Formats: sequence, C-alpha cells, structure tokens
Amino acid sequence: MTISELQQVTKVDTSRKRKPRLDTLSRILRYAVTRLIGLFVAIVVGVYLTILIANMGGHVDNIRKAQIRESVVMAIMGMQDQARLTPEEIVQFQESMVALEEQRLGLDKPFFIRSFIYLRQALTLRLGRSEQLVSDSGSREVRNIIMERLPATLVLFGTAQLLLFFTAVFAALFLSRRYGGWIDRLVVALTPTSAAPGWFYGMFLILVFASLLRLLPFGGMVDAPPPKETIPYLLSLVKHMILPVAAIIVSSIFLTIYSWRTFFLIYSSEDYVEMAKAKGLPSNMIERRYVLRPTLPTIITSFALMVIGLWTGAIVLETVFGWPGLGRLLYQAIGAYDTPVIVGSTVIYAYLLGVTVFLLDIIYALVDPRVKVGAGGARA
Amino acid sequence: MLKRSRLSIVCLAVMIMLIGGSIASSAAERTGAWVDDIVVIEEQREPAAIGMLLAGELDMYAQTMSDPELLAQVQSSPELTYSVSYGGYTELTFNPAGPEFANGGLNPFAVPRIREAMNWLIDRDYICQELYGGMAIPRIVVISGAMPDYARHADAVRALELQYAYDFEKAKEVVAEEMTKLGAQLVGGKWQYKGKPVVLTGIIRIEDERKDIGDYFATQLEDIGFTVERLYKTSAEAGPIWMMGDPNAGEWSFYTGGWVASVINRDYAIVPEQMFTRRRMPYPLWQAYNPDPELDEACRRLYYCEFSNMEERAQLWHKVLELTMKDSVRIWIADTSDYVPRRANVTVAADLAAAVAGAQLWPFTIRFVDKVGGTMKIGLPSVLTAPWNPIAGSNWVYDQMMTRGTADRGVMYDPFTGLVWPQRIERAELVALAGLPIAKTHDWVEVEFVDEIQVPGDAWADWDPVEQRFITTAEKFPEGTTANVKSTVYYPSELYDTKWHDGSNFSIADVLLGMILTFDRAKEASPMYDESAVATFTAFIGYHKGVKIVSVDPLIIETYSDSYSLDAELSVSTWYPIYSFGSGGWHNLGVVIRAESANELAFSQGKADKLGVEQVNMVAGPTLSILSKNLNAAAAEGWIPYSKFLSQYIGEEEMNTRWSNLKKWFSSKGHFWVGTGPFYIEKAYPVEGMVHLKRFADYPDPATKWEIFGEPMLSEVEIDGPGQIVSGNEAAYDVYVSFKDEPYAVEYMDMVKYLVLSSAGEVVVVGEAEAVEDGLWQIVLTAEETAELPTGVNRLEVIAASKMVSIPTFESMQFVSVK
Repeated sequence: MTISELQQVTKVDTSRKRKPRLDTLSRILRYAVTRLIGLFVAIVVGVYLTILIANMGGHVDNIRKAQIRESVVMAIMGMQDQARLTPEEIVQFQESMVALEEQRLGLDKPFFIRSFIYLRQALTLRLGRSEQLVSDSGSREVRNIIMERLPATLVLFGTAQLLLFFTAVFAALFLSRRYGGWIDRLVVALTPTSAAPGWFYGMFLILVFASLLRLLPFGGMVDAPPPKETIPYLLSLVKHMILPVAAIIVSSIFLTIYSWRTFFLIYSSEDYVEMAKAKGLPSNMIERRYVLRPTLPTIITSFALMVIGLWTGAIVLETVFGWPGLGRLLYQAIGAYDTPVIVGSTVIYAYLLGVTVFLLDIIYALVDPRVKVGAGGARA
Repeated sequence: MLKRSRLSIVCLAVMIMLIGGSIASSAAERTGAWVDDIVVIEEQREPAAIGMLLAGELDMYAQTMSDPELLAQVQSSPELTYSVSYGGYTELTFNPAGPEFANGGLNPFAVPRIREAMNWLIDRDYICQELYGGMAIPRIVVISGAMPDYARHADAVRALELQYAYDFEKAKEVVAEEMTKLGAQLVGGKWQYKGKPVVLTGIIRIEDERKDIGDYFATQLEDIGFTVERLYKTSAEAGPIWMMGDPNAGEWSFYTGGWVASVINRDYAIVPEQMFTRRRMPYPLWQAYNPDPELDEACRRLYYCEFSNMEERAQLWHKVLELTMKDSVRIWIADTSDYVPRRANVTVAADLAAAVAGAQLWPFTIRFVDKVGGTMKIGLPSVLTAPWNPIAGSNWVYDQMMTRGTADRGVMYDPFTGLVWPQRIERAELVALAGLPIAKTHDWVEVEFVDEIQVPGDAWADWDPVEQRFITTAEKFPEGTTANVKSTVYYPSELYDTKWHDGSNFSIADVLLGMILTFDRAKEASPMYDESAVATFTAFIGYHKGVKIVSVDPLIIETYSDSYSLDAELSVSTWYPIYSFGSGGWHNLGVVIRAESANELAFSQGKADKLGVEQVNMVAGPTLSILSKNLNAAAAEGWIPYSKFLSQYIGEEEMNTRWSNLKKWFSSKGHFWVGTGPFYIEKAYPVEGMVHLKRFADYPDPATKWEIFGEPMLSEVEIDGPGQIVSGNEAAYDVYVSFKDEPYAVEYMDMVKYLVLSSAGEVVVVGEAEAVEDGLWQIVLTAEETAELPTGVNRLEVIAASKMVSIPTFESMQFVSVK
C-alpha cells in the first residue's frame, strides 16, 4: 500500500467516523429546537393564563375602579381645603382625580387589549412598569423590583437547597448501606414530618429559638442597623438564615433521604452490582460507579421537582420569616392586583422552570449513557 | 464589716445622686430629640413584634393593633406598656333603594323606620365587649366619641344614646309594623313577600372584626324573621358591589363599613354632610339617598358654617343628631380603639386619633425614662413603601412617621385636642369678618373682628410661570377684593439661625420656594406642570386672596383668605416650608426641580408614569444618580431654581454654600433628604427594610419643650351628693374632677355639664356645673327643677370636657326623688 492509498483510506475512515458525529449533532440540534419551541409555547400559554387569572378575566378592572373611588373619597374626607367648594366643584374634583388615576393605570383601555400588551412585554422580558408596587429603593420598573428581591431569595433557597441536596445524598447512601438499622428506622419513622411545609416548622423554630431561648433572631435578613463592614454583614446574614434554612431542610430532609435511600437500595440489588461485588471491587468504587451514577437521573428529577415545590412555598416562608425576597413580593403584588409585577414574577419563574427542564434533559443524557437525546428510543 | 457596709451604702448613694444629677443636668441642656439614634425596622408580623418587644429586640412597635389576645399578652407583662388611640369606627350601611328592587325582591331598608329600628336590634355593648374584646366603645350617634364636637353636644348625644339603647323587642315590633305596611307576611316565623321569602343580602367584610359583626347582625335579622344571605368579601371585592353597583339591582341589602380618622377633626360637620346627603359623592349609592329636607338643609348649613354663633351651631347639631337617627341610612356601631405597644421604659406622645405614627410630636417626645440618649429600635409594618419626596412622595402613614421625624414646622398639632401650638413661629394675629363663628382657645393667637377686610394691592394673588413672578392682587382683581380672614404670623428673630441638616442656614428663599411651588406645578405653561396638582390647586385658588411678606427679617407674613376654621388657631397660615410629605430647602428641592424640568424624573407618580421616567426618591434608588448629576451641574453653572424671582433673595455666597453643603451631604450620607427636624437620615437600607435616624445636634429647641404631651390628661370624675331628694327642694352635688389623683385645674377645663334623666330615660334637666376651685365643681338642682322630676329613681349624668383633651369623661349616680 502506497502512502497515497494509505492517506485515502485514512480519509475514508475519518469521514466514516465524522458522519455519525454530524448525525448526532444534527439530532441534538433538532431535538433542542423542538424542545425549545415546545417549552416556549408552554411558557406563552402559562403566562397568558397567568394574565387572565391575575385579572380575573378583566373583573379586576372593576375592583380597581372601586378602589380608586374609595381612596379618592377617603382622601377628600381628610382634606379641609375643599370645605368651601360647591357640591358641583367637589364632584368635578373627585372625577378628575379618579380619571387621572384610571388613566395612569391604563384602565381607560379595554382589558382584552391590555392583556396582549402584558403578554408581549412579558415574553420580550421588557417587564414594564408596575401599577402599585415600587422597588425597595423606589423604582417602578418591574425589572428593578424583581432584581432587588431576587438575590435575597436565591441566597436563602440556594443555600437551603444545596445543603439539602448534599446532606440527603450522603445520608441516603449511608442509610442504604445500613438498611434496617435503627437510624434507618428512625428516618423512616420521621418521614411523615415532611407532610408539613417549611413555614409550619418556621413558626415553631421562631417560637423556640427566638422567643423562648432568645438565641436567634425572629426574622429579617440582617441585624439592625446593618453592619457596615462586609464580614460582619455576612456573619449577620448567616445568623438570620439559620432558622429559615433549618425550616426548609427540616420540612424536606426525611422524605428526601427516605426516597433516595430507596432508589439506592433498588440500584444496589442490580445484577451488575452483584457482579462487581463478586469481582471484589472496592465498595467505594461500587457505590460511586455502579450505584450512585445510575441512580443520579432519578435523584436529579426528584430534586428538581422538590426545588419547584420549594419555590412555591417561598411566598409563605418568606412572610413567616420577614425575609425580603421574591416570594413576599409576589404575595404583595397579588394583594395589590399589580398585574405587571405578578406577570413579571411569573415569567421569571416560567423561564427559570423552562431552563431547568431543558438543562435536566441535557444532564440526563450526560449522567445516563442509556439515554439517547433525540433518538426514537429512551428520552429524558 | 459594718463600717465597710456603711461606706458602700454611702458610695452607692453618692453614685446614684451623681448619676441622677447628671441625667437631670443633661436633660436640662439637651436640645432636640431625647434619644441619639432611632433604627426603624420593617416587621409585619404582629405576634413576632410582641415577642421582639419582650426580648428587647424592639423598644416600640408603632403599628396600631387591635388583636385582644396580643393585648392581653402586653398587659400581662410588666416589661411592656401601650398607648391607645380612638380613630376608627364601624357602621352598617343600608341600601335605601326600593322598596322593590328591579328583580322584584322587597327591600325593607328602603323604609327609614325599619332602618331606625336596626339601632334597637343590635347590642353594641355585646359587640364591644365580646367581638372587640373591650377594644371599642359603643357608638350610636353620628359624632365619634373622640372628637371635640361630641363633648360640645354631649347632652344631646347622651339623650339619644339612651333612647336608642339595645331593645330587641322594640326593633321586632317596629319592623313587623312596617313590613305589614309593605305588604309582607310573616309565615312560619319568616317574612314573605309575594309568596317568596324576604332575602336580605349582607356584604360582610372579612379582614377584621367586621366579619363577626356581620354574622351577629345577620343572626339578629334572622331572629326577627328575615332570610339572610351572607356574602363574605374583602375590601376590593366589596367595593364594586356596594359603592359602584346600582342599588336598585338588589345585589345587596347591608354592608359592614369601617372608617378611620387620621386626625382629631375639630369640625365634624363633614361627616353628616358626606354620609347622609347626596351632595358629596357622585356614586350610585349616595345618589339613591333621599334624606328628609330638614336634615339635608341642617347638614348643609353646618358644613358651610351658615350660622352666626356657636349656640346656633349647637342647635343645628342637635337637629342633625336627631334626624340622622331617624334617617339611619347608616347606623353606627362602635368607636374602635387600637393600641401601640412599647417597652415600659419608653415614653412617647400618641395622637388620640392617629396613634404614634400619626403624631407630629412623636420625634420630640420619644425617650427612655431612665436615661438621656441611647438607641431606640422601632418596628413598623412597612418601611420605605413608596418613593420619598416632600411634594408628592410617599403618603404611607409609616413613611410619613419617619419623615415627620426629620421635619420642623410652623405650628405643631396638639395630639389630644387637634388644635395647634406655635413651633417655629412666635405668635399670630387673626382678623376675621364680624359674624363669622371663629373662636380662639390659646393665647398665642389674637383675634379681632372687623366689618371688612380689604386685600392690599401688592399682595401676591397668583403666579406667572413664564415671567417667573407673582401676580399681585391689584393685577388679578383690578376692582379690588376682600377676604374673610387675614392672618399675620410673626416669626422669631432667630429664625435664620435655624440649620438645615447639611449645615446650611435657613433663609427666606426656602419660604418663597414653597410659595412658588404652591402655584407653579398647576400652571400649564410651566415645565413643572403636573396634572395631578391641578385639582388641589383649584380648591386653593378658590379661596386664596393674597399673601404678603411684610418684613423679611424678622419674618412677618400676612395671608388673606376666604377659608377659615371654627378655631382661630387653625385659620392661621404660616408658609413654613413643610410640604404635604416632608420638608425641604430651596437647594435640595431645587435639584429635583432642575431634573424634572428636563423631564428626567418627576415629583408625582402620575407625571412620572406619563413621561415614562422614575418618580423621584430622595433617599434611595435610581433617581439619586440623576439628582447627583444635576447637583454637580447646578453648582458648576451657578444655577438656582426660579432664578428670575429667587435671585433677588439668594446671594452668591448663599448659593455657593448651599451647593457645597449639599455635595458634602450627599457624599457622606448618600441621599438628598435634608430637613430641619430633630432627626436626620443617617442611612436608608431599602432591601433590608430599615432606616437609621440620628439626632440632629444643631436643632435649636430644648428637648423638654413638648414634655407635657407625654400622656393625655383624661380626667376622672366622681360625684358626691344626696341619694334621696325631696321634690320641690334644692339639691346640691359636688363633682370632683382629677387627673392622676391631682385636682384638674379649672383653667384646663372646658365645661362640666349635667343631665338628669328619669327612669324612663327622658332628659328632664340639663345644665352646667359651677367651678368652685381646681378639681371641684358644683351642681345645684333648683327647687323648680326637682319639682319637675318624677318620683322614683332618677339618674344624674355628668360630662366633664377638658381643653387639654378632646375626649370627655362621663360619670353618673342614681338618686331617689320623693314627694
């Protein structure tokens, strides 16, 4: 074989190798585009439904109009200056105040038209201006309102979720090795405690550690006044996070450990694990390669569902702990019928959820070799 | 050993004396606020706030609370105490449409007698004791018990209170009589109309005790034969139905209403005018009212002050009180009281209507009882709720509480009477047209009545936004004009020594900017034009006749106006630069004016939304950078606001000093909130929900200035006299009036009235007691009066009204009259 022939063969071989890779790439792309379109449609539907629900299909307009009139009445009752105006002037005075406020809130346009304006703004992430709420620093931009609160929520729930994930994984692995032991039975016995949400435990923790023992603060994010230096500020933040983080963890930990430990047990009894044991592989290697890795997709799915559940609990938990996060903001926005803020918060959640689901698809493929993205068979 | 012990005691005594002496001496020298720092913390959870008070994490929780269980917790702890306020009240609003609704259903509440009978149907004592846990006082008449008009007309009020006391059987009887007239029949204990049950639909608010009240009332109605449908609604859900809906549609029959008074209203005539006539409200419910013409006219005359003296006013009030009961388109249930808990070592002035958060005096009076200085931690349910700016900023009561701490004012509201006292001004004179029912209470204002008040031609009547100058009265009213009142305020000579928080001296330009802004924002030709300012300005310009700076130093200002109050003190216009939502100097407000003129931001939310910019927040947020940019530009260009006019009053030195001071302030504190009050904002923490206020060391007044307002002087009354009198013989009773076991000074008392009521509840005698000495008044029932009394048990009711507090005290004793 000459050198040129050899090169030709090599080229052929290379092209043979590249073709499946291109196929895979195009399959992944096709899959990604299809999934993204699907998720986008889901987000559009979800956001529009939110707009409809948050406005009670337009009924909120009536509520708002009545609220405006009531507040104008109260304002006028509190004013002394109008004492010398005639009834006609008073009526004119009231009507002009009402008209200005209705115009400001866009109530002079039909709800149907406004609903599509809300939708367009939401989908393009131009979240617009709020109608009632302002950000803590006084801005009406919904983006500022949300972005000011998002870090507080992320730091609280991020910390709690990371702690929960790693504690639960290791505890579950540990228990799977001690199946039937007293610790295992204790965890199983405590599993029903996860039926109560985090805020429920929060109230007890506040009662015990803040009210009775006076060891930890009742709530809030930092001491008053907030420390000026970074390190004391962070330490103060950590002190204030202890109870809410504990509440989140307590409300989920036992059920999580129990279910994950069950997954580990199921995968521990697979034939290939028995084979590995028979081959005399070290237990650490068996745990990591033959038990943990195949169990991870199930655990990640379970964790993702739990994370979504925890986000929805943020509204009450943050209120119970006086934590200045996104959950409390959403609660205030719902109370004030502030559609742009409700839609803005929902769209952020929707996009976060969409991104999470999309990433999960990818992570699934990475951690589980049996999953073939875009293939006709198994899908994440 | 004994010697050592004695020595220790002596040392301890010396130490105590030294410490006590040092507290007393530092208290005497102290200016401005008693405490050094106040940290305001957002805390929405009431139970947690009580826990924090007990744990010492908070010193006061300035939310007005009404939860009886938490009150019991506060009362049971020796570490806690509380202030009480009486601003809220609840009522039942009836739908007066009909008697047949559009859907054919019968509306019994279309009949005034049935509405009137509802007064007998409800047991207000039960509601106050059981549903409010004692945190409310029964209210039967249109005047709230916390308002001065209640004390003024206490005799008429008392008679009505007895007449309309709980009487279930009477209510049932009247309702039966009127229902029969309407053609309804009682079938099996249930009222029916045209063969169908008479259904009353109640809109029951669910946010507070009104849910229980609504349920109670519904049950009472069911007990007299009605079928009741209960609709439980929030405020937002209820509004479109009861306020905006067509009353004839029959969607509702009664509504559990609730109102809050944020100030002690010295002239309560607005309430009957607004609640019982069609004139004030253009909404469907009010337009369905059909008041008795006599009531309508009496309400109107009271409201427009169409009476020539207080006796005539009293007669009108008596008529209104009686006829509103007959009309009963609303019936009153209770004056609710709220409490503000705090630690026992904290004292503070609390407004009788607006509690601590609404009291102008709170920053001047709050202190630890055992020390001068220290850091006070105050919890509030919301902090920095809306952008802060003095012109159209946050009107949230809790934001306002903090801004009040940073502001000074010309006159200070008395938290117990609703009158005002001089704060930055020295004194005032009021000239009024003869025949106007104006009276004074305090000596700082002189009142004179004249036949005509001519407004001088050089007074400022309006503002030209293009030329930037005031339009004189001579220009606006070429024929000349007159006014109802002229007030002249005299500021002290040391006014211009007053400091703004950034170290700048107060100047006449600060006052003048306030005058300009009163007009300019409502002028379409001005770059500061703001639609939302027009309505208020229209009201103002309707009665404003002119303002004149008589002297700049010392500052003397005359104001000519057609607007006046019954109290001379409240008719005085000071023009001190305190705006609706805080105070500000020409320099820090000037920076905002510069930015708003360039459409970079706006004072009001309405204008900001229209322009698509941010509403200015002078303590935090994205507008600070815009203000900083404008400050630098103003300083570099030597710019001043409304320069065509104000440059006559602001010299170059003042201008440079102000810009320089403001720059230093912003660089050090990071905000533009500059006032002249006893506290300044050290730092605002928006996300954490905290504000740090620091004592302003340059505040001029002694800290002791408002000390006497620590506690309302609610009098205690005791009656002493014969338990049995002989008809036709004179009888005398002693009335002891005291406050904290000390005699109540006669000069502090407004009056001591008495009523003698028969066992049937009829008022037989009304009179005023005579003052004998401080704390002692005497009632003498003449022989003629005792002769009129029926034999048997009678009751002597005494009403003591003070000038120091708007709430009167009632006491009564029974005696037997024999022939």
